[in-house]
Amino acid sequence: MNRGKVTRRGFLGLAGAAIAAPALAACNVSGNSGGSKAGDASGELKFWDMPWGAPQYNVLGKKIVDGYTPAQGFGKASYQIIQWNGFYQTFSSAIASKTGPAVSSGAGFQAFQFAEQGQIAYADNFIEALKKDGTYDDFLPGVIDTMKTDKGYVAVPWQTDVRPFWYNKALLDQAGAKVPTTWDELLTAGQALKKIGVSGFATGSGTGNSFGVQAMVAMMINNGGGLFDADGKPDCVTDANIQAMEFVKQLANEGIIDKGAVSYTVENLDGQWNTKKAAIGIHTPGLADRAAKVADDLLVAAPLKSPSGTAAGLFYVNNLMMYTNTPSQEASEAFLKYYLGQLHTYWENPVGMAVPVLKSITTADYYTKDPNQVAIVEKWIPVCKTFAATGTQSFAALAAVDGGQALVQFTQTMLQGKTDPKAALTTLQRGLEGVVRR
Amino acid sequence: MTRPTSLEQTSPPGTVPAGRAATTAESLHRPRISRTAVTMILLAAPCVVLLLLINAYPLVVAASQSVRDGTLIVTGDFVGLGNYADVLTSPRFWSAARFTLIFTIGGVFGSWLVGLGLALLLRTKIPGRTAFKVLLMLPWVVPIVVSSTAWNWLVGTPTSPIPTLVAQLGLGEVHFLADPTLAAVTVCVFKVWVSFPFMMLMTSAALAAVDTTVYEAAGIDGASRRQQFVHITLPLISRTTYISWILMTIFCVNDFPTIYLLTGGGPVDATSSLVVLAYRTVFQDLQTGPGVAIAFLMTLVLVIVSTALYRQIRKVDIA
Repeated sequence: MNRGKVTRRGFLGLAGAAIAAPALAACNVSGNSGGSKAGDASGELKFWDMPWGAPQYNVLGKKIVDGYTPAQGFGKASYQIIQWNGFYQTFSSAIASKTGPAVSSGAGFQAFQFAEQGQIAYADNFIEALKKDGTYDDFLPGVIDTMKTDKGYVAVPWQTDVRPFWYNKALLDQAGAKVPTTWDELLTAGQALKKIGVSGFATGSGTGNSFGVQAMVAMMINNGGGLFDADGKPDCVTDANIQAMEFVKQLANEGIIDKGAVSYTVENLDGQWNTKKAAIGIHTPGLADRAAKVADDLLVAAPLKSPSGTAAGLFYVNNLMMYTNTPSQEASEAFLKYYLGQLHTYWENPVGMAVPVLKSITTADYYTKDPNQVAIVEKWIPVCKTFAATGTQSFAALAAVDGGQALVQFTQTMLQGKTDPKAALTTLQRGLEGVVRR
Repeated sequence: MTRPTSLEQTSPPGTVPAGRAATTAESLHRPRISRTAVTMILLAAPCVVLLLLINAYPLVVAASQSVRDGTLIVTGDFVGLGNYADVLTSPRFWSAARFTLIFTIGGVFGSWLVGLGLALLLRTKIPGRTAFKVLLMLPWVVPIVVSSTAWNWLVGTPTSPIPTLVAQLGLGEVHFLADPTLAAVTVCVFKVWVSFPFMMLMTSAALAAVDTTVYEAAGIDGASRRQQFVHITLPLISRTTYISWILMTIFCVNDFPTIYLLTGGGPVDATSSLVVLAYRTVFQDLQTGPGVAIAFLMTLVLVIVSTALYRQIRKVDIA
């Protein structure tokens, strides 16, 4: 054999080896979150976070995570931003390939969803520890309970995304309308605003805009209704819901809801607030930041008193969840404890956040200087319910309900103001049964 | 010097070892794969395996998902053709199929007509023709996210430029994206706007290949401009036309961003095509099985339509 010469067979062998090596290396990737051997607590702990506020939010988030000094035997934490666009695919594929996070923030019902699929590490022990060290008492009343399921706590709350009614005081004054406290007053104010070409119930249900859906559900909840019964089964065609949707239909038909709202994107809706075309509407706690041109005129109203005498609202309890795929559960809990202790940073350096769940933050000077945020904490959170209303426990299928086709179609139908509410709610009931059944 | 064409030819003539003579003689009578072929197969194998992994594996997994009731993480139980039955009995599916048909017909023929018109126009010698060509390519070149944002800005709200213009013309307040019919029309027009440069480019290339003497001869024979266009231009570019129709049909049926970014499939599903419905079923309703089943049904229809159009091309070739 001629040394130094590469034969064809040899070349093929080399080529095969070159192809096989990375493939085998890829197959050999550890299923562990930190890329180290499963069960090795010293492996790096992955924390995935979403863009919750202004871009500065994630800069701050990374700083907090980088500042984590793990106890002896635990690994450091890494910070990864996950965009909202396609987040479910991102999480799903990563979890399926065992390369997902050990701890993450995420969508309101994500923890319930992944818990059902056996991917969530329940937080019961962690919450017990919080009770012992007193942190539990720092949470606003009831928020931790929203994470409870029959199997345990799927996550730990860190902020609440309330959907309060906002109003533009200058526009109300211009229209000669008073701040509504009941549905009748909302209608009267809307009629007055209509005369000056302004919407008295600003919302939108275009691409990627869930404010319309949330407004519909919020109105049902406000009237003592909701999408589900106490057992968590779809229960849309109720008197409370029909009455709420009759009212929405009236708002749409009288032009108090903008005719174009059905197709408004979030940007379109923000534009309506900024250009003084919207005076009253359900929005996020951060509306004043989004509608900066009219921020000084924007105020949070108290929850409206509904015809049935109730005054409730809708909120999402955003949470931090731990996954079974982790260097170790103790490492996840240690990191989570540290992170909860740093949450105040987000409100000390305003980055467009929702409402904190810790009393130590909601009562701090840096937070109470904004009367709108105080109003949300004091007037709204105590009466707010989750998407699961009138049920008391959230569940996995809510992820498919919130933003799913059935509810979007229902909302768009109602915003057009043409369909009988009972018929629309019956269609919604069928749609939700199809989603929840699966 | 000529290069050996096979491994057998690398041995000098007359040097076959005695022990192998019989085997070599046998091999002359028995068909066998040459070593060259084996080498070629081995060289091609990694690419074939890679292609199978990239294309066939996802297809097989998707086919499996379409007959199960799982999620993106969990495989789920086998449900047979239940998902297909659910999908085919759903009014939403047929509504989406109807819009897909409208969108495809509008997109293919709308963009072809505009593209053909502009391609013919650009054949004439006008000043700044190249600049026009570049400008006309912009809708195709600009990322769809940018153009959909621009279109939303143009028509999204009553205070947007086009609704304002329409109102100032005394035609009242028009909601281009809020009215189901207008939204469907707007999406189709948007698709035509995005796609006509492709058609223009294809048609321009075909027109450039047409021999101009044919027109001269036809002119001498007394053929009018219209007759020249109908009986010479269209037949001579028909092959390219059919190919561009096939491609544009595939583009339209599979087009997700054009629709989703502008209307999200709304209002009330008025602009929901099959691909949008499949996406929303999988990623919003989180029903993987039915969503993938929709995608498979869509693919089946697409294959049938493409085959029919391809046969048309063969007929043209034979003619």
